[in-house]
Amino acid sequence: MALAFDEYGRPFIILKEQEQKARLRGLEAQKGNISAGKAVARILRTSLGPKGMDKMLQSPDGDVIVTNDGATILEQMDVDNQIAKLMVELSRSQDYEIGDGTTGVVVLAGALLEQAEKLLERGIHPIRIAEGYEMASRLAVDHLEHISQNFEFSVTNIEPLVQTCMTTLSSKIVNRCKRALAEIAVKAVLAVADLERKDVNLELIKVEGKVGGKLEDTELIYGIVVDKDMSHPQMPKRIEEAKIAILTCPFEPPKPKTKHKIDIDTVEKFQTLRQQEQKYFDDMVQKCKDVGATLVICQWGFDDEANHLLMHRNLPAVRWVGGVELELIAIATGGRIVPRFLDLTAEKLGKAGLVREKSFGTTKDRMLYIEHCANSRAVTIFIRGGNKMMIDETKRSLHDALCVARNLIRNNSIVYGGGSAELSCSISVEAAADKYPGVEQYAIRSFAEALDFIPMALAENCGLSPIDTVTAVKSQQIKENNPFYGIDCNDVGTNNMKEQNVFETLIGKQQQILLATQVVKMILKIDDVITPSAY
Amino acid sequence: MAAMLQPQIILLKEGTDTSQGKAQVVSNINACTAVADAVRTTLGPRGMDKLIHDDKGNTTISNDGATIMKLLDIVHPAAKILVDIAKSQDSEVGDGTTTVVLLAGEFLKEAKPFIEDGVHPQNLIRSYRTASSLAINKIKELAVSIEGKSLEEKKSLLAKCAATTLSSKLIGGEKEFFASMVVDAVLAIGNDDRLNLIGIKKVPGGNMRDSFLVNGVAFKKTFSYAGFEQQPKKFVNPKILLLNIELELKSEKENAEIRLSDPLQYQSIVDAEWNIIYDKLDKCVKSGAKIVLSRLAIGDLATQYFADRDIFCAGRVTEEDLQRVAAATGGTVQTSVNNIIDEILGSCEVFEERQVGNERFNIFNGCPSGQTATIVLRGGADQFIDEAERSLHDAIMIVRRALKNSTIVPGGGAIDMELSRYLRQHARTIAGKSQLFINSYAKALEVIPRQLCDNAGFDSTDVLNKLRQKHASGEGANYGVDINTGGIADSFANFVWEPAVVKINAINAATEASCLILSVDETVKNPKSESAQGEAAASAMGRGRGGPAFRGRGGRGMRRR
Repeated sequence: MALAFDEYGRPFIILKEQEQKARLRGLEAQKGNISAGKAVARILRTSLGPKGMDKMLQSPDGDVIVTNDGATILEQMDVDNQIAKLMVELSRSQDYEIGDGTTGVVVLAGALLEQAEKLLERGIHPIRIAEGYEMASRLAVDHLEHISQNFEFSVTNIEPLVQTCMTTLSSKIVNRCKRALAEIAVKAVLAVADLERKDVNLELIKVEGKVGGKLEDTELIYGIVVDKDMSHPQMPKRIEEAKIAILTCPFEPPKPKTKHKIDIDTVEKFQTLRQQEQKYFDDMVQKCKDVGATLVICQWGFDDEANHLLMHRNLPAVRWVGGVELELIAIATGGRIVPRFLDLTAEKLGKAGLVREKSFGTTKDRMLYIEHCANSRAVTIFIRGGNKMMIDETKRSLHDALCVARNLIRNNSIVYGGGSAELSCSISVEAAADKYPGVEQYAIRSFAEALDFIPMALAENCGLSPIDTVTAVKSQQIKENNPFYGIDCNDVGTNNMKEQNVFETLIGKQQQILLATQVVKMILKIDDVITPSAY
Repeated sequence: MAAMLQPQIILLKEGTDTSQGKAQVVSNINACTAVADAVRTTLGPRGMDKLIHDDKGNTTISNDGATIMKLLDIVHPAAKILVDIAKSQDSEVGDGTTTVVLLAGEFLKEAKPFIEDGVHPQNLIRSYRTASSLAINKIKELAVSIEGKSLEEKKSLLAKCAATTLSSKLIGGEKEFFASMVVDAVLAIGNDDRLNLIGIKKVPGGNMRDSFLVNGVAFKKTFSYAGFEQQPKKFVNPKILLLNIELELKSEKENAEIRLSDPLQYQSIVDAEWNIIYDKLDKCVKSGAKIVLSRLAIGDLATQYFADRDIFCAGRVTEEDLQRVAAATGGTVQTSVNNIIDEILGSCEVFEERQVGNERFNIFNGCPSGQTATIVLRGGADQFIDEAERSLHDAIMIVRRALKNSTIVPGGGAIDMELSRYLRQHARTIAGKSQLFINSYAKALEVIPRQLCDNAGFDSTDVLNKLRQKHASGEGANYGVDINTGGIADSFANFVWEPAVVKINAINAATEASCLILSVDETVKNPKSESAQGEAAASAMGRGRGGPAFRGRGGRGMRRR
């Protein structure tokens, strides 16, 4: 920070540790911030679209992640610059809200910043640029609404939903079997969706993965998969028409919470104590048997003695099941979680058509499948894949697809992908720009130009000549007055996205534009950066 | 300096830095001007934001004068006074924090040449005080009352005030949207002074327009145990029980110990404990409440018990939220489950657990006593929402102020220009030095429109001349800077309104601060710890407001610390 001197040449110390603080202000600050934002966008640019590339990221403790999901990449990059952090948060908030389009939003923000830089060089006031952008974003959002289409789906006709999820998955590494995964995602969401309230609680969808097998083996289970096995190796591996007791109490003698001591001073007393303990075990198992349970799932562990007894009485049991899983099992099977044996009644048992233990390949790992449940409001997606990275990436991709399906249930409007929506917006924003007097007109026009960046990046990533392709498509859109033309990334032969069935959700797209504008505005508004220069 | 040839008398500890006299006054003024320069650019709808890192690596992006001043971490003793007035403006009226710093800086700047020319500071101070009281009376005279209007009308007027405040902030683009939200929220809590009844919840994600106002309470889903998902998530007209007890299986007495001599009694102890908790739960259920909230934990046992009986429960609700629920639903927080009567149960129209962004929120809507409101803010980044929260806080304060002291003045620099004109005119009637001082005070007031223009990139001299001409013509009292075209416009007609109290307070505080700084002619700086000294000096100066008296014992006063 520049020092101020008084009349006698002594410096003022106005701020604490003034000498150690760096200060950037005015245009310099804006330029610095813009270049930081652009740098982040540049990293993600190549990940956009169906032919986008993946990034490999290594965390400090050696874990490797391979992904193409914008939010994940940025999260793992661990950026330090404040403006870059804003971009990270931008992508994260798109992830929270929509779940998809996390790369696109950052690329768009980068493009907007790049355009703003040019305008700043011309001497346009940053706030005027920001205001112009805001107007333009509103125009674009309205236009999207205008070109969007409603599409009907029902529980029986899920094809449109599947198509949209396929668009999302096509940019991921799993696009080999996008059809299968998209169907899984849609069915899973529909299973847990509350269509009446248009609410989907994604927590009811459990995504579980296991290394081994092929991606094609990924399946949707109308029930729960628990990464646990029977407590005793000799217990039956397959139970049909299971009645499940879901317990949160251990198979142990109950312990009072108050501190207690038992004075044992005679052999007889010790004997009684011992007998009583055994009686507890006996009673517990008997109680379970009495109410008709054929399977016990317990949140806690149990004694070897109890285990033996259970085995002996032919009552299969699973121990150490986590709280969340326990809850999901309870929801799926329609059972109630029972906190103590006294409360166990026949009505509180959950019912499942089939419970089986499945082992995989040659490994000793086994998992417990609880299927054909009374109430299939909780489902599990079980992912198989060649290696751990692959499974993690599939999980992330499926999360995106699940979010897309959820968004469509909330709002069933779609726009067409492949950059067609952006191009169409760009055309309409540019046309509208001329109507605005004042400096904002320039900003609005720049906004339109920035919108072209997304199709351009798409084309570039596909190995097409970006400018040729984008201009060709743009002119086609205007000539035929059809907003469905986009970039033919997969070389299908037509660039009509409607025919290619490339859909994106309307809210996802709108959100992208609004969020990107918001962050760009924030960055443009900063004209003073004060940092401890030790950074 | 004083000890040239005489034998030196060592009065202060070695290394103590003293400076006094005219030079000191000038030096203090310079420091204050430097600080005012730091916030200068944040003024007005075209004002910029500051990004400030602190030592811990936290970042704040803000446009709020008080926030910036606080984060700048100023140690210069005189400049600290400016921080204090910004703070006081913030706590008093909530808005206009940049204005007050800027005005104080400008008053001092105008005073500097006079001091250099040898005018006694006390003369300046006296004139400044006169000028400020004249200005305040003029504001009161010019202010327009909004009293006696119908509720609808009042609402739109208040929304205008809130919109003016918000226009300089990051969320300025959506000012109408937020202004009406703020007005609704403030009107909802009525005349109650408890500001914490307006809750602001921040949820990252989404865009600003997704922010919404809940006419009641909303809070994030608390930590829940297994079984929670089996509880119903929506009620219509539920009864709500508010507790401040743990519903968990636990030892009743902390240090109690039970000694058993007969192992057969073991079960009875276990049963006794279970009975205690079951008894509590049973009482909750019998009360007829459908929603049970507790500030303390609600354990897994209780969660499942309630789930079995179709009751919703949430434990570990924060104190604040629980108070708000109590105020909203008309319930009372209980510390025991004995004797639950209907009167202490709250109720609301609709309760729902809803997904907001990535979080699930418990939302109580349509509360009968309606004395609370919750604003759920959405936005792209954490810093963004933080800044939005600060901006809304300003707007809420403004609306509350306007509601109480329901007079408003035109903004956009109009009132400042009018005051300036009035003071200049008045100055002409005064004989003596005071005329000059009041004139310079009047000139200092012009800093607000000037800075508005500068920040917007307009030619400030040009606009200012137009404004002067308009105001001098006698009929343009409401004319201020038109931020969109770079010309001048009737602020009143364009709905750029500020509550009068903001301006009054700003002028008062700025004048006080500048008079205080002018009256100091000696600083004694103890060499030891700089930061501690800074504070000591500032507070000592606060005490030494008397001026001349301070001069005499300044040195001693300091050293007492």
